[in-house]
Amino acid sequence: MQKKATTFDVILYIVFGILSLIIIVPIWKVVSDSFNAVGVYRFQLWPNDPTLGGYQTIFTTAKLFRPFLNSVITTLVGTLLGLALATLGGYVLNQYDMPGRSLLSYFLLITMIFSGGMIPEYLVMKRLHLVDSMWILVVKHGINVYNLVLMKNFFEGIPGSLYEAAKLDGCSPMQVFYKVVLPLSKAALASIGLMFAVTIWNDYSTVQIYITSPSQVNFQYQLRVMIMDGDTPTTAYKVSQNTLYYASIVCAILPFMAAYPFLQKYFVTGINAGAVKE
Amino acid sequence: MSINENSKGPQAAPKKTLAQRMKPYLGFYLMFLPVFIFVLIVYYWPMLGVRYAFYSYKLRSIQWIGLGNFVKLFAEKEFWSSFVNTLILSVGKLLLNTFVAVVISVFLNEMLNLFCKKFVQTIIYLPHFMSWAVVAAIFTLFLSTSSTGFVNETLKSWGWIEQSIDFLHSKTLWRPIFYMIDLWKETGWGTVVFFATLSGIDPGLYEAAELDGATRLQKIRYVTLPALSNTIIIVLILNLAKVLNIFEPVFVLYNTRVLEVSDVISTYIYRKTFLTAIPDYGYTTAVGLFKSLVGMVLMLASDYASKRIRGRGIM
Repeated sequence: MQKKATTFDVILYIVFGILSLIIIVPIWKVVSDSFNAVGVYRFQLWPNDPTLGGYQTIFTTAKLFRPFLNSVITTLVGTLLGLALATLGGYVLNQYDMPGRSLLSYFLLITMIFSGGMIPEYLVMKRLHLVDSMWILVVKHGINVYNLVLMKNFFEGIPGSLYEAAKLDGCSPMQVFYKVVLPLSKAALASIGLMFAVTIWNDYSTVQIYITSPSQVNFQYQLRVMIMDGDTPTTAYKVSQNTLYYASIVCAILPFMAAYPFLQKYFVTGINAGAVKE
Repeated sequence: MSINENSKGPQAAPKKTLAQRMKPYLGFYLMFLPVFIFVLIVYYWPMLGVRYAFYSYKLRSIQWIGLGNFVKLFAEKEFWSSFVNTLILSVGKLLLNTFVAVVISVFLNEMLNLFCKKFVQTIIYLPHFMSWAVVAAIFTLFLSTSSTGFVNETLKSWGWIEQSIDFLHSKTLWRPIFYMIDLWKETGWGTVVFFATLSGIDPGLYEAAELDGATRLQKIRYVTLPALSNTIIIVLILNLAKVLNIFEPVFVLYNTRVLEVSDVISTYIYRKTFLTAIPDYGYTTAVGLFKSLVGMVLMLASDYASKRIRGRGIM
């Protein structure tokens, strides 16, 4: 049944058109100015003097490129570690007949209720020589109890008969895990992996608290320092300071913005699988 | 299996010792070991560190002072100011965000063209995946008073203002700006849970309302909103448990000139520890412990409320 568009519908289209513009215009302005050699800071949404100099500066200046690499490395390693721990933990917690299972789940639950706080955490990491090292990002985000529970909830949905069949075929728990469970969990791995990756890539405060050496900081941190302190590396490409700023912002958001239209399903299922599912 | 049960009877199982019952699960315990170690190091070891809350801990001298840190803490005006700011900023943004997210979901749900609806959803989810550092960088540049500030220059070129406004350094404007930036970044994402609920509404309800002659606004009022009410309450409860944790959004946007309206507990701890010449780790640990304890109470209360409302805890 085709309904006729009423005034109400027209208003809806206009309001949501404006809403979309409010979201898009700032992002668009950043992208446009990142290609613009001479900044025009009025309401102009197209580069009038196009250049790639901002991007060239980032990839040829160690001061910016090193943090970018650090971000890539910590995100990859941290996501892999995070997925490994979340799937292992989730799988074990799904063994309802295992003696001590509830003890283990309380062991995890307590961490969601009480935390030592910023300073005790800092002192522990100092003991472990993780202060002033980018691996702090991997250690801190690699274990995530919330994601572990999401993973467990997902495993619960796999029919128990599959486990039984594999067990009868003589598979050890570890074999069942990587021959039966993991291949069935690709969608969950993708969405929880994305959650890890976004968290680690976007983390700024951990670096702010724990890291001081320029060789260990990540891209988010370097970007902020550069913009807040006006600490621009000398540029051989003759671009204005702001062109470099905006190009850096684009590099900081590009990985997920580029993947987002294709992986939106996985980005969104993570939260729906979470606590608020009805 | 069935043979076993028949021959040994129902009492057979308890006779097995714990070790015997655990043996078949040996592989699972080994698989849990890495998780166990990481949780122990990352979460439990710092918990032992809260004992410093009862010490004075400057440089290398650690001295037991009992409740001294807490006495100091409760007398500190700066701390109470950060406590109040935490509630104002955190609860304020939670309520504002939830309200706008509900309004957007309800009306976007009315959009008949599915492609347009999907398109708007895709757009409004986007900023959630940008970090707070990036969002703050963008808006700091946009709101800057220098000749490169997009907002001030645009408003001037349109003749709306004469002089640049220093948005982020103004005590009256900082909070509204903070709420607005947070709305820009997170509201779209906040609609996800409401859409999940809306997609579960029985279409029959709308058809019945239509037969009764309900207008579209009446359908929103009597079908859509009641269906969302439970989700709204749960979203509020879930987030209420975490209101004290706010750190990064404030940290990346505040500055020394607006401290009195923007300093929250976590930024207070940060400043007292990392921006002080000789920090007293004992004192800042005490502030953190106070925050953790209040947070724990909020968490348990939320869990209780959630169990009452939907029969399921939040953890």
